[in-house]
Amino acid sequence: MEKAGLPSATICTDRFIPTARGMAKMWGAEDYPTIFTEHPIENLDRDQLRQRAEGLATEVVTILTGS
Amino acid sequence: MTQNTTTANWDNIFEAVEALYDLGWTDGLPILPPTADKVAEFLAAGGRDGAEVVGELPERRREITAEKVAANAVMAGCRPEYMPVVLAATEAMLAPPFNLVGPSSSMGGAAVLVIVNGPIVGELGINSRNNLFGPGNRANSTIGRAIRLILMNACAAIPGLYDRSVIGHPGKFSYCIAEAETETHWTPLHVERGFAADQSAVTVFASEAPRQVRSVGHPEAILYAIADVASSLGTSLSTSGSVGDPAAGIRQGETVVTIAGNSNLWRGWSKADVKEYLYDHIRRSVADFKRAQVFPGDLEPGDEERMVPLTGGPEDILLVFAGGEESNMSSVIPSWGPKVGSTSVTREVRR
Repeated sequence: MEKAGLPSATICTDRFIPTARGMAKMWGAEDYPTIFTEHPIENLDRDQLRQRAEGLATEVVTILTGS
Repeated sequence: MTQNTTTANWDNIFEAVEALYDLGWTDGLPILPPTADKVAEFLAAGGRDGAEVVGELPERRREITAEKVAANAVMAGCRPEYMPVVLAATEAMLAPPFNLVGPSSSMGGAAVLVIVNGPIVGELGINSRNNLFGPGNRANSTIGRAIRLILMNACAAIPGLYDRSVIGHPGKFSYCIAEAETETHWTPLHVERGFAADQSAVTVFASEAPRQVRSVGHPEAILYAIADVASSLGTSLSTSGSVGDPAAGIRQGETVVTIAGNSNLWRGWSKADVKEYLYDHIRRSVADFKRAQVFPGDLEPGDEERMVPLTGGPEDILLVFAGGEESNMSSVIPSWGPKVGSTSVTREVRR
């Protein structure tokens, strides 16, 4: 999406750090900014997931706007 | 050889095997060294130029050349004449509908089941009978293993890195069977899928492990038990995660069913009849899906009677006559995910 000119932010749980870093390197973007959040998220209910997302919002905005 | 090829010399086979472990090229078991002359011999047997691109995995920026296929087939212990089957299976799993990046990376832990049909089954001695999924046959063991090594070495499906299977299953070492199509009145799988009976073909299917169904004797009783097993909670199909059709609420995907024994038991049944029966019975109630919290909400009147099919239609049941002659035992193999996430693919074995 970034290559297509669409600013994007990637969120990934921390169990997948090596996978995310590896994929970024594979695509020639070793320093690609990725937001990591505590694993797991699949057992969170709707409110807990919203709370988690709100906690990451500032980081998402920072990556999207580059500021 | 390609420009990226390097050469190494080893004094003996044990040194070579250890070096191949150090290179990270094995599935955990010893492999054979892919020497230049062996790779060339395998390419000749497959009728391909080493630089020919068999398929691509764009998400991991990989081009899989015939040379890579040949090298992994050598390492797996294949005979050169197996190459056309290994090549066809590789082409099939790299076809876009198979969506290889999904089943080769997912926590769902799928393996690639290879089903071989046509005259090549007899020519290569691929097993379709006793110990169908078990050990003992070189063609089955090494063709299936070659596919796994291609996944790991050429497609970057590296356990713990890009292959994030939580459990995986033994079929991830090797998962290759043939249909005993000359021993049944049923239409062979590849003919059902548009090929001629005298053509050879491979079908690839991203799937869980086989679950044995030990119901024998009467066709309807056998099918009832197969449908019960295929309707289990906890499979990749009876989940609400990554749903293909939102109206269904669960994944719905393909299911392979193998039936063994003597085909005479089924003389009153065509494959179409069996698939129709199974489609009608591979279902689970809304009540059960609610109890398992696949569906949200409390139980309501009518939930016990409202049934949800786990497959999209009879055509999504791949029926294969295979397994030992000793008994009419069966197996059920659910797909890795919804059909839209990965669809089985059949390709001709070109010779």
